[in-house]
Parts: sequence; C-alpha cells; structure tokens
Amino acid sequence: MRKTWKKSAALTAAALLAASLSGCGGSGQNDGTKAPETAATEANQEAAESPETEEAKQDKAEEKPSGGGELNIYTWAEYVPQSVIDRFEEETGIRVNYTNFEANEEMLAKLETSNGGDYDIVIASDYIIKIAADEGLVKEIDKEKVPNYENIDPVFQNFFYDPENTMTVPYGPGIPLLVYDPSMVSCEITGYESLWDPSLEDSVALMDSERVVMGMALKTMGESFNTEDLDVIRAAGDKLMELAPNVRVLSQNQTQDYLLSGEVNAAFLFTSQVVLALADNPELEVVYPEEGLGFGVDAAFIPANAPNSDNAHAFLNFILDGEVGAEVSQQTYYLCPNKAAYEFLPEEFQKSLVISTDDIPNGEFIQDVGAEATALHEEIWTEFKAKLD
Amino acid sequence: MKRRSRTMDRAKASCWTKRAREGRWWMTVIPLYGFTILFVALPILYLIVLSFLTRAQTWGVVNQLTLENYARIVKPVYLNTFKESFQLAILTTITTLAVGYPFGYFMARLPKKRKTMMMLLVVIPFWTSALMRMYGWIIIFRSNGILDKLLMWLGVTEKPLKLLYSYPAVLVGMIYSLLPFMILSVYSSTDKMDWSLVEAARDLGATRLEAFLTVTVKMTLPGILSGIVLVFIPSMGLFFIADILGGGKVMLVGNLIQNQLQSGRDWPFAAALSVMLMIFTSIMIWLYRRLSGVKDLEGLL
Repeated sequence: MRKTWKKSAALTAAALLAASLSGCGGSGQNDGTKAPETAATEANQEAAESPETEEAKQDKAEEKPSGGGELNIYTWAEYVPQSVIDRFEEETGIRVNYTNFEANEEMLAKLETSNGGDYDIVIASDYIIKIAADEGLVKEIDKEKVPNYENIDPVFQNFFYDPENTMTVPYGPGIPLLVYDPSMVSCEITGYESLWDPSLEDSVALMDSERVVMGMALKTMGESFNTEDLDVIRAAGDKLMELAPNVRVLSQNQTQDYLLSGEVNAAFLFTSQVVLALADNPELEVVYPEEGLGFGVDAAFIPANAPNSDNAHAFLNFILDGEVGAEVSQQTYYLCPNKAAYEFLPEEFQKSLVISTDDIPNGEFIQDVGAEATALHEEIWTEFKAKLD
Repeated sequence: MKRRSRTMDRAKASCWTKRAREGRWWMTVIPLYGFTILFVALPILYLIVLSFLTRAQTWGVVNQLTLENYARIVKPVYLNTFKESFQLAILTTITTLAVGYPFGYFMARLPKKRKTMMMLLVVIPFWTSALMRMYGWIIIFRSNGILDKLLMWLGVTEKPLKLLYSYPAVLVGMIYSLLPFMILSVYSSTDKMDWSLVEAARDLGATRLEAFLTVTVKMTLPGILSGIVLVFIPSMGLFFIADILGGGKVMLVGNLIQNQLQSGRDWPFAAALSVMLMIFTSIMIWLYRRLSGVKDLEGLL
C-alpha cells in the first residue's frame, strides 16, 4: 500500500515536472519580465509587516523570479505528501523548500539556534510544541489570514500545548494501539498487561521510545504516563524488566513490517502503522488496551521569526481546506482533524481507520515530566536495553 | 676592504631572506591553526564546559557548575554501557585482526596489477552509504531472508532462525564496516617491508614460522597497532549499526549519548559521556604510541 503510494507519487511528481518543464519552454521569457515585479511587491508587503526580515526577504525575491516567494517547511521526511506540496506551489506560485528532521529535539535545538527564524512551518509533536511555546519560539496565528481555521474539528483542540487555540493547527492526531496476528498468538490480548504473557516470548515489537514503553508499564499499574513520583516510576521500571524476554525488536519507523513479515506476532503501533498493517493483512486484530489509551497530536505551527510568515499562513489555510485536508489524511494515515474534509474521505478509508473520535477524550498525552523524572526514565531505559541483548 | 664588504652584504642579504622565508612559512601555517582552533579545539572546549553545567528543568542548560554529570557516569547502569561497548569493540577488533591481517599480508604480496585490483575491491564499498550497506545485511539476516533460506535448503535448520536484531548481528555489522581499515593498515606496512630481512632470518636457520613471528610480525607491528586503533575507536561509537542490526536492543555508548541528547534532553550529561569517551580513546592512542614507538598512524592517517 505504502509502496504503491510512493510509486504513484513519484509518477505524479514526474508528470508534473514534465508539465512544468514544457510549460517553461514556451513562456519562459515572458515570465522573466513579469515575475520580478510580483515578487518585489510580495517582498515589500512582507517587509512592511516584519521589518527585521527585510534583507532576507529581498535576497529571496532576487533568487526566485517566478512566483510568490518561498515557504520553508520543517518536519519529518515524507510527512507532507508531495502531491499536496505540488498543488500548493501550483495554486500560489510559492516555492516550497522541504527540510526534514529525525527527532523532535533536533528540531527544537535548531529552532533555538536560529531564534525561531529559518523556517516558516514546523510540524512536530505535542510535547515539544509546548516546550517551544514556553521558550517563546512559536508565533500566534493570525486567524484572519486563515479563514479555514474554523474547519478544525473541536475534538482536536484545546489541548495542553495550545489551550487557547492560538498557535497551532492539528495535522496528524493518533492513538497508538496493540495489533496482533491471531493465527500466531495463543493467549488473549486485551491490554498492555497481555504483552507480559510468557507465550509471547521473543515475539513483540515495541516503540523505541522510553516514555511510551514505560508508559505501558505505568498503565498496567493504574498510573498516569506523566507521573513524577520517582518511586512509582521505579516500580514501573522493575515491572518493565520482566518484559525483556518478550521483546523482539524496538522500532519507531515501519514497525508494521515486522508484524506483516512474521518477525513478530504482536506490536504496539502508531495510528498510521495500524492503518498500513490492516490494509496489508485484514486478518490482524486490533486491541484498544483496557488499561487506558495514549494519545498524541502532531501539529503545525509558525516559528516566532518565520521569514515568510504570510506564506506560512497561506499554507495553513491551504491544508485546512476540506479537499486538501482529506488528501493529507489519506496519505499520512493519521486521523483527520479537519471536519470539512470528512465528506471527501473515501468510505473505504473511513472504515480502515478504526478509531472513533469518541475515544479521543479518553486518551492521555505523554508530557514532559521535569528533569529528575526524565533522568530516571533514561536510566531505567538504559538498564532495560542491557537486558534485551 | 671591498671584498669584505661584499661578503658582509651577502651575509646580510641571506640573513634577510631567511627571516623573510621564516615569516612566510609562519603565514602558511595560519589557515591550518585557524582551522584546528575553530573546528577542533573550540568544539572540544565547548563540550568540556558543557559537561560541567546543569540541565534545565525542561529544555536547555543552566549556567550552574556541577560535577553531578560525571558522578552519574559511575552508576552501575552507565558503567555497564561502557563495559558492553568495550566488549563489543574488543570482539570486533580481535575478529577484524584475525581476518584482516592475513588478508592485508597476502594482498601486499600479490603482483602489482592484482594488488591495485584488490585495493579497489576493498575500497569500493565505501562508495555506498554505510547505512545502505547495513540495510543489505537486514535482507540477508531477516527471518525467511537469504541466509535462512540457504540454511533450510541445505537442511542445516528446519525453520527460520531469529538471526536479526541480536548481538551477533551487530557484531557482524561492526566487523563488516571496520574490516577495510584493518586490511589497509596491515597492507601498507607489509608493502613497505624489507623482505631481505626475512630471507636473512631463514638463511640463519629460522623456520618459516620463526621468521614470521620474529621478523614479519615485528616489522608490521605499526600496521597492526594502527589497524587496532582505527577499528577499536570507531566501534565504541558506531551507534547506527547497533540501532539497525540490533533492532534498538543493543545500547552502546554512542546510543546512550544520542539518547541523552534527544529524548533525555540532557546535554550536559551527553557531553560528560562524550568527554569520557574521548579520554578513553586518547588513552588508546597514547598506548599505541608507547607500544609501537610510532608517532603517526600507519596507513590511513
């Protein structure tokens, strides 16, 4: 499924490239005379609003003679579908520069060194947005420039990282779930606790993330993911050590492949991975852990000193359009936070996306727990990994 | 009088040019020093200073001096990570030496044309990203992968083995990645060797083995030791191999540092770990110099 998507995306990209090349061949010279003016006016408009970026803006205007300037997107690789970027470029004439990071922390470190400059749109996870906002690196969204803001389903708003809904646009919300292959598993899987079952020896895939895995252990004890009680964390750590013999692999990306290839029989997967796993093998069983759900939102925000703030607003408005929003969710395989998009989602897609929005209020975010608890989590994780090999 | 003044002039002139030459020589070194200070000394200094600071509650670093970061390294959990990395590095080094020494030795003894050919074959894998080559190993090792199918076809095993995501898989990846360094080091010192010394030893009645042990090994010692250093030091820090072939289950010092930087958000502790790793590797290089009596690394450096 993913493969075919990539292939078709590549084909579309190739076709678009061919189209744009042939287009340029015919009218390239006309473009040359006309475009610098528009670019310059654009630059002036921007400069009037944010004088400190005037120089940067003009540099860019010179570089790019044929359109409405640039937009620098910073997020994980392939997280914004190429088809969406192409369409945005085509409709607005804004050239998109896509830079990717591997980890949220990498993004924040970079954002901090540039003091919220360099990038116009960042899509990252909830907890890091909270930290970025506290560090003053997030700009307030001018909702007049984003009329589609009202398309956001309120279920996906008012979260801890943006309680007043002033800074972010939810992009990829998800609930991680347990998925297993019933033909290979002899025990009954109902929640996190089931993963400790001895019959699952060396056949479980988990996320390579201490807070998520520790969170599972905490939930089996009826505790919150975000407890700062060191004794409780230690007790969860002791429990986690007993899970070691069952863990076959720790992985963040493409974890569903381990399940599909038979390398593991049960896995704790992100929403997108759940969708992809089910698409490939409908026989797989999905479990809503009885101890309690996790929940996470990847959201888009504009950094405090974004060089092309207007373009960033245009982009937010663009992805909040119903049709575009549907395309984003269909290709990222996360929940769709855009209520205007629901009618554009194919029925088949709605069915494969098993999570109902009713579950969302029950989900718990993983949030920062402060220096001491974080250090303890790290220590337990190191000990856990030493037990794994 | 006339003659004397001329010699004096000449002396003066030569003196002047020499000083000028010295001056210019000094100028040419500036970029080198500048580069080293800017890109080596300053970052290391930054790292050392950082390792004594305190992490902030949620993000960043507080300017508050502490020894806490170094005290934490001594905790059994983290010492164990150093121990595991050290073990893996030792295993990797011994295996690469066992395979790389004969390889490099015989490569140096090949006719010139085939020597160049072999050299090329050893170096070619470097043209592909190390990451890509690790994914190649996944295809070989995964259950129902190439190796599994081969073993089952040969009747050695009956069902797919769980070869991937294990310590041995990481070891294979390490050996595979670092073997060329050992081969090239041994090769370059064997290639330079004066074979008449071996002949002399044989003439004086040494057996082949005796001649090899007393003469050849001794003369290729700088190559062996530089190979050991070049293999050992990177194998302490190659965290992506442990991540890919170990399925995230093997934690080395490199992984630990990466974790502290990312999910731990504890830069000072990561810096302290890096400083410890640097001290450790410096000791290795110091030992190398003591043992081999050579100031530079043979072969690649």
